Amino acid sequence: MRLSVTAGLLSLALSALPLVAAEPRPVLHVTGQVADGAQAFDISELRALPATTLETSTVVTDGTHRFTGVLLRDLLTRLDADGDMVTAIALNDYAVDIPVSDFDKFDVILAYSMNGEALDRADKGPLWIIYPRDAHAELQDIRYDYRWVWQLSEIEVR
Amino acid sequence: MRRLGGSGLGLILPLIAILVFAVLLTFSLLRMVEVETDIRVDAERNMLWVLHQSESAARRLIETTMRAELGEADAEEIALRIDLLRSRFALLQDGPQQRFMTEIGLQRQLAEMHATVQALQPPPEDFTAAEARQIRGAVTHFPAFFARAANKTMIREWDDLGGRLETSRDQLRQIIASLIGIMVTGVILTVTLFLALRLTRQRNDMLRRERDFSALLISSSGEGILAVDDAGRCTIWNPAMAAMTGRAAEQAMGRKLSEIAGFFDIAPMRQAVAASLGGKTTTLALQPYFRDAHEPPLHVDLRISAMRNDGRVVGAIVFMHDASDRHAARQKEAETRARLEHLVAERTRELDDALTRERSAANLYRNFAGMISHQFRTPLAVADSALQRLIRRGARADADEIAERAAGARNAISGLTRLVESTLDAARLQAGQVGARRVACDLTAVLEMVRARQCTASPDTRIEYHHAEAVDAIVLCDPAHAEQVLENLLSNAAKYAEPDTAVSMHLHHDDAHVHCDISNAGLAIEEADRAQLFDANFRGGNSIGTQGTGVGLFIARSLARMQGGEVSLLPDGTRVTFRLSLPRLEGATE
Repeated sequence: MRLSVTAGLLSLALSALPLVAAEPRPVLHVTGQVADGAQAFDISELRALPATTLETSTVVTDGTHRFTGVLLRDLLTRLDADGDMVTAIALNDYAVDIPVSDFDKFDVILAYSMNGEALDRADKGPLWIIYPRDAHAELQDIRYDYRWVWQLSEIEVR
Repeated sequence: MRRLGGSGLGLILPLIAILVFAVLLTFSLLRMVEVETDIRVDAERNMLWVLHQSESAARRLIETTMRAELGEADAEEIALRIDLLRSRFALLQDGPQQRFMTEIGLQRQLAEMHATVQALQPPPEDFTAAEARQIRGAVTHFPAFFARAANKTMIREWDDLGGRLETSRDQLRQIIASLIGIMVTGVILTVTLFLALRLTRQRNDMLRRERDFSALLISSSGEGILAVDDAGRCTIWNPAMAAMTGRAAEQAMGRKLSEIAGFFDIAPMRQAVAASLGGKTTTLALQPYFRDAHEPPLHVDLRISAMRNDGRVVGAIVFMHDASDRHAARQKEAETRARLEHLVAERTRELDDALTRERSAANLYRNFAGMISHQFRTPLAVADSALQRLIRRGARADADEIAERAAGARNAISGLTRLVESTLDAARLQAGQVGARRVACDLTAVLEMVRARQCTASPDTRIEYHHAEAVDAIVLCDPAHAEQVLENLLSNAAKYAEPDTAVSMHLHHDDAHVHCDISNAGLAIEEADRAQLFDANFRGGNSIGTQGTGVGLFIARSLARMQGGEVSLLPDGTRVTFRLSLPRLEGATE
């Protein structure tokens, strides 16, 4: 099964590569109360930011995984975002409100790779909000589980 | 017995309650942990939402291809929808989700669909309507599958939920039952605790009352009571003790006994206290207690015993009883007894004397016939001899000679008369007037008279008479009996004397008696005869061939004893000496 998934991912990566190389598409839009109006990031811009790696289990996979990405509080600070709440919106229109205090209390990252491999749009990529679930017992709760937004495409600061 | 059973039950019931309490508590805790775990695990399942999202992704792809055919959607949008559908399959084919799909039996179908999705190629920029239709054709049955899967999931999850709710309800019911049990045992324990507390209070009250009562007993006791702890310090000193010793409780409490009074430092007291600390009880009777050097002492009885607590000796208790009255009574009793003993001894001696005299008189009269034959013969012989000589002389006798012979005869007869009178008097005296005839009498005169008569009876025998210087010869006696005794002794001495030897008479005195020793140089009396010599009708070995009746010495002693005197044979010397002792008048009156 895993083999077939990997094969799928590979074929996807091969087919997507020329596209990305030709014209870098923005993968994340930050809107709402940010200093210079709406901002857009392509994947290389995000990768250029200081990276954080954390290892945790998830509720939808077995075992633990190593995620690498940008600390959300750093990102919001960089953008001079002014709000108590953000709305995270996924490619499939899934939307959930997350208090900004979560990012201060926990090292929540905007992951772009899992176990050293880039997250794919055909899986949970390109961006996945990851909470350090194993490091904090209080995060092992369905009220936090629904904040793990994958295929993230937009953050609206409110 | 009932009390013992009660206390056993009282102990077992709370123990059982505690045990039940602990078991129920553990049980309900375990159950609660199980419920808590169930709740946490179950909350992670969200398959309905996943399937809904999957169906939604499939429909959006179909919808996008339709819109593409109409020229409303481009290739990029189709590629996004394909990726989103792929991501749903990726999710469904991962860990927990895949396991669930296997459980509801749709995994195989899902895998086939997954392969289909993976095989889909995103359309090129300039795609045709046919290409869009082809993509739609590949996934057109997907929504129906996901709807069916959602249906199954719903049933599965509801079954599951129902089962879990039932399990949880069971567990909660067990927990509720346990809690009721815990409550009941809690009530039992509370009641037991309350009862125990009440009992403790009652016992404390009882103990306090007993202690108060003991204190009252000690303070109102007439006996002195003191107690010391095992270090020898005074812990109890009651008012009676204070009154007896003259030392107040404040002066005694907390001090060593030896510091309180010297009396408690004497050896018997120290030993008794030490012994009582070793568990032994000692009684000391009539110990003198000097409160003041100038006053007579109290005499006290003491009882020293161990004071125990739970079988362990914690000190000594001393009971002190003032026995001065008893001591005084005992003293007086001792004095009375001594006086009585003295009196009895005196009376006994008097009675012994009287008895001796009585016996002598009785013996004398029993042997009256013998005495007559013996005592009366001598004067009769003297008178007869005088008269025979007078007859033989006949006309040759002149007036002087006649007078002399007659006087001799008369003298003998008057002696005989005196003897008869005296003997008759003695018979009267025996009837209860012993000693009434004892008068003061000069023994010298009696002795002289007897000597003269002896000279007459046996002219051949020489009689020497001498006495100590300034002899006091005044005695208390019956003169006739004294004369008789001396005459017997003298005639015996003359009779048993060796021929041509002198008989001697020696008069002297000591404090109480006048002694007259009459001795001769005769045959020594054998040792065996000495003891029987004074018995009636006994004649010694040296008297063979000599005329005699064997009552002379017996009569002499009897008569002597009748008047408080004695006749004795002096220890063997060169001469045979008999002694008459008679009480001195002065010694007797003194």
